[in-house]
Amino acid sequence: MIRAEGVSKIFGPQPASIMALLEQGKSKSEIQQETGHVVGVNNASFDIAPGEVFVIMGLSGSGKSTLIRCVNRIIEPTGGRILFKDPEAGELDVTTLDYEQLRMLRKQHMSMVFQHFALFPHRTVLSNATYGLEIQRRPDSERKRIGQEVLDMVGLGEWGQAYPSELSGGMQQRVGLARALATQARVLLMDEPFSALDPLIKVNMQQELKRIQQELQRTILFITHDLDEAMRIGDRIAIMEDGEIIQIGSPEEILVNPRTEYVARFVEHADPTGVITAGTIALPFTSSLVQRVGNRYGLQYFARRGYPRLRYGQDSTGRLKHVMTNERELPVQPLEQVIEARAADHLPERRDDLILTCPETTVLRQVLRGRLHSALPIVVTDRDGRIRGLVDDPELISGILEKRGHFQQDTVTTSDCAP
Amino acid sequence: MGELLEFLRALLNDPFDFVDLPARQAITDAVNWVVANFRDFFRTYVSPPVRGVMNGVHGALSAIPPGMFLLGVFALGWWAASWRVGLFSLISLGLVGFMGVWDPLIITLSLVVTAVFFCVLFGLPLGILCSRSDRFNAILRPVLDIMQTTPPFVYLVPAVMLFSIGNVPGLIATIVFAMPPMIRLTNLGIRQVQSEFIEAAVAFGSTHRQILWKIQFPLALPTIMAGLNQTIMLSLSMVVIAAIIGAGGLGLEVYAGLERLNIGQAFVGGIGIVLLAMVLDRITQGLGEKAPGARHKSE
Repeated sequence: MIRAEGVSKIFGPQPASIMALLEQGKSKSEIQQETGHVVGVNNASFDIAPGEVFVIMGLSGSGKSTLIRCVNRIIEPTGGRILFKDPEAGELDVTTLDYEQLRMLRKQHMSMVFQHFALFPHRTVLSNATYGLEIQRRPDSERKRIGQEVLDMVGLGEWGQAYPSELSGGMQQRVGLARALATQARVLLMDEPFSALDPLIKVNMQQELKRIQQELQRTILFITHDLDEAMRIGDRIAIMEDGEIIQIGSPEEILVNPRTEYVARFVEHADPTGVITAGTIALPFTSSLVQRVGNRYGLQYFARRGYPRLRYGQDSTGRLKHVMTNERELPVQPLEQVIEARAADHLPERRDDLILTCPETTVLRQVLRGRLHSALPIVVTDRDGRIRGLVDDPELISGILEKRGHFQQDTVTTSDCAP
Repeated sequence: MGELLEFLRALLNDPFDFVDLPARQAITDAVNWVVANFRDFFRTYVSPPVRGVMNGVHGALSAIPPGMFLLGVFALGWWAASWRVGLFSLISLGLVGFMGVWDPLIITLSLVVTAVFFCVLFGLPLGILCSRSDRFNAILRPVLDIMQTTPPFVYLVPAVMLFSIGNVPGLIATIVFAMPPMIRLTNLGIRQVQSEFIEAAVAFGSTHRQILWKIQFPLALPTIMAGLNQTIMLSLSMVVIAAIIGAGGLGLEVYAGLERLNIGQAFVGGIGIVLLAMVLDRITQGLGEKAPGARHKSE
């Protein structure tokens, strides 16, 4: 949907001449000292899929706000290309568009949400929300209808006639979001939209955004300096430092497999329980900690070291057939079902004769909840129901404390970001 | 050697003895030249519209019966600001009428309205141009300084030479003197609009013109109204000076009173000017606070 290829932005009197220095591999601070030019963004590349929430995360001064402005050319990039692909608009090279084409792109295909809301103070909430439609020259009745729709969607249906100054910060940003949604642009550029909000309201807004995104399936480029926020809403995250993108990956990939020391330090204090999945930490049957203990009736039996009496019977397709202990078959239930069925129990009975299973995409938080109901290792299955591995206390503990799992080496691939 | 020292001594003592800049003659000649060559141009193309607007405004204002007029002023003050301002306006202008100078008041008001009309007509676009082009702003700024600081008496005589005596040269002098704040504050108001609003408007694909009229102008309106207020006050301050070259109204009362040493007549005219100034000031200030762009100030 949006692809950035080697986008750079240099601030100063002669930006073009600095590009050569960058290519020679001079660092940002060297360039600043020698030439007085500031490198805002250095050779940033990424590819955002339709319907994806792509988060660019970095501390202040890392160039993330500059980069997002290069995408709709509110800031003119010094080098590189921005490509926009859309079934309606076809494929456009944003960096070569003339003024009118660029205006068309901003009007129809890309809208924006700002950190400090940037609501027009002299306009009512409704007329703020419909600003983009006004620019599109839609008829009055249509503007009113769509405006009311988007305001309803962000929960401000009653506030159309109020002025922005009468609204709280969170409500103001809802208007900002409504304004961006109203134009029906496929791409939403969100520049730290929730950074100026109180923590509680911030979490509310993140949930709200996720809900709206589920409904509307826009393509979102989201900037933040808050790792938890990035993990919560991002399908993929790009980490920026000093104008460069140093890693792109899913939240889990970044958490489990940070590419540089910088990223590692960054994610050190992130809460992994909502990000890391059971599939990542599960102990595979190929591990030396699992032994094959025989076969019978066409099933292979495995046992984990330290639990000799538990025997996992796996059929030829790799699915779990049953779990035996001393010739007795143990009940097997999906973890989600058990948690749901006993949701009311504050302190549930913890059984030592119940095997729970969960899909590999289950996050640790949910796995931990499952542990309340059964003391036995949890069996993790893949999409097709085949056994991926076992999760027991050692996996959970190292997953949470060290953010490491048995699968990270061979399953986690860091996406195409230039070194 | 001795001669050189002598020369330097003389130069230090009285340098002005060495050069004689014939400025007086040059300016006199220049003005005469302009009068000789452009008098007809000014009298055919500049005077009629100014006189036309003046006559139109005066005709309209003097057609309103004074009682109705006072009621209208009361309503306008109430709508623009508050009922207090409405009442104040009613009493002030009523007082002027009771002092027997209602007709001069209407003439002065017409002069002010006409002058302000032309100040806005030219000042607003010039101010907008200034806000969009730093170069134009740099060129216009010294011109505005000259317009504001040159003592009006200096250009009264050339004005009379070009336009003959009467209301028109007085109006021209008033327009020249009162226009700068309109331009300056329009420029300032538009430049002061926060860049985040501009950025948001750009991000939604607005044209330059849409940004100007949908965002910058409404947000600048309180400042522009302050400029309008200044322009009105400055035009009022010119009515006495304009009377010297034949403009009528309360200024003429003052001027005539002074000439005949009729202190009472001069003071009545003066009080009328002050009261009119206060009424116009309160009403335009109220309008400025009512402007939609004034909302962000309360945030």
